[in-house]
Amino acid sequence: MKRENEFAVGLAVIAAFCVVVGGALWLSGAHLGRTEAVYTARFRTVGGLGVGNPVVLRGVRVGRVEAIRLASGNWVEADLKIYSGVSIPPRPAVIAASASLFGEWAASLYSLDELPDDPNVRRDLAEARAAGGTRWPGATLPDIGQLTAQASRIATDIATVANRVQTAFDSTAVSELRRSIRDFGQVADRLVQVSNEQAGVISRVGTNLRTGSDVLAQAATNLQSTLGRVDSATNQGQLAAILNNTAAASHDLQQSSQDLRDLLSAAHRNQESLVRVLVAADSVMSRIANRSGTLGLLVADSSLYRETTLTMIQLRQLLSDIQANPRKYFTFSVF
Amino acid sequence: MITGIGRRAVAAVEAVGRLGHFVGDMTRALPDVRTWGRLVAQQMRRIGVDSLPVALFIAAFTGVVLALQASYTFTGAVPLYFVGTLVGKTMMLELGPVLAGLALAGRVGASMAAELGTMTITEQVDALETLAYDPQSFLVVPRVVAATAMFPVIVTFAVATGIVTGWLTSLALLELSTAQFLKGLKIFYVFKDLWFGLFKSATFGFTIALVGCRVGLGTRGGAEGVGQSAMRAVVYSAVLILMLDAFWAVVLL
Repeated sequence: MKRENEFAVGLAVIAAFCVVVGGALWLSGAHLGRTEAVYTARFRTVGGLGVGNPVVLRGVRVGRVEAIRLASGNWVEADLKIYSGVSIPPRPAVIAASASLFGEWAASLYSLDELPDDPNVRRDLAEARAAGGTRWPGATLPDIGQLTAQASRIATDIATVANRVQTAFDSTAVSELRRSIRDFGQVADRLVQVSNEQAGVISRVGTNLRTGSDVLAQAATNLQSTLGRVDSATNQGQLAAILNNTAAASHDLQQSSQDLRDLLSAAHRNQESLVRVLVAADSVMSRIANRSGTLGLLVADSSLYRETTLTMIQLRQLLSDIQANPRKYFTFSVF
Repeated sequence: MITGIGRRAVAAVEAVGRLGHFVGDMTRALPDVRTWGRLVAQQMRRIGVDSLPVALFIAAFTGVVLALQASYTFTGAVPLYFVGTLVGKTMMLELGPVLAGLALAGRVGASMAAELGTMTITEQVDALETLAYDPQSFLVVPRVVAATAMFPVIVTFAVATGIVTGWLTSLALLELSTAQFLKGLKIFYVFKDLWFGLFKSATFGFTIALVGCRVGLGTRGGAEGVGQSAMRAVVYSAVLILMLDAFWAVVLL
């Protein structure tokens, strides 16, 4: 009986031990008998990453987070245990991120050459790399809590802006806006009217164009007919005669043009003489206008005019007297 | 009224003192391994192995109910694979140890109280003392040691059974695959979940055996006294289990 008790108890204890150990290892994802390499990644913060969280490479679990500790220089170091046989990407980097909306976190392995297009991640990784050492650079994406907090701040800002807009849009602003809209409606109506009118004009222009096109078509027909006649005239040698006549006419025209050019040259020269005459005349007229010179004095001084007139009268009287009494003034002697 | 309150207060302090005295006697008897060592296996068989069916039966249905209630709660809001998380966490941390403890408080605690109470009222304990046997070494220590050692074993099987029945329920009654259930089971697992439940169950076993022995050895009167001792052992054990559960949750979690 005693041995039976001991056997039963021993069996129960061993079975329980196996269940506990096996269950713990299985649930924690441990790989017994397989060598696992431990790498250390450096983060500014690990966010919600915890011990036991999976390490994934392109979505496939390749290890787990073994330990997390604070390090000097305000860094946090996480030991990542990677299963054997896993090919680590060249120049590896680690990004800790929330794996779902329910608080699951994972450390994802990337190559520095194939990083996500996130400037914050790239900056964090560059900073972690700049710290030197053999640690893998690490970055952390914000979790859903941080994102919702940011969204909450944005919503608050929007609410503030909305309140300000509501304050700005008082009854006066609304009435003005309404009036503006009404004016805009009127402007739109006028634009419609103008458009309709322009459409009529354009329609008429189109009609005219169509008419012009018809005329052009008729002209083209006539031209074609003319060309046909020209073609027939060419056949009878008339076109050559026309061309010869045209050449002669052209020669005459050239001659006429040369004569005209000579005439124009002479005229140009005469023009220069005429200009000089006009300049001289202008000078004379200016002097007359300025009461200078003989003519100017004659024009300006009435006494000289009267004297001249009187002289002319006396001269006419003298001539009359000479005609009447030549011997009084002339003596002829032959010898 | 004041006299009544004072009387009860004094009685409570005396009870605590007697329990402390009892624990002290038991501690002094611990070095007497030659006496209690040969009796431990029998007690472990009775307390542990023989109690497995009851504990596993309770745990099995607990797992089923947990899976169903979790799916009912999560529908439309939380991914269904969290059924595995809830079943595993709840069985390991709370329901496995507590329900097994409460069940065994009725089976083991009452059994001990009745057995030792009968021995007391039939003066078998006095006879042991007459024969120079220390009742602590001969009766108490083997039971307390056996209960403390075997309760984690029982709870281990209970937790495993609950998880397995929860998984089977998820497969049969819920639109959940094995991979999804296991994903939920593993996703938030930490080793603390396991050792916390096992450690707690060990303290439950210690408490149940200690209370059963103390109440049993303090039995007075005839068969009625035995019955009252059995009842008190179950009540005290259940209350202390729940108090210890809260205590460890505050201290260790």
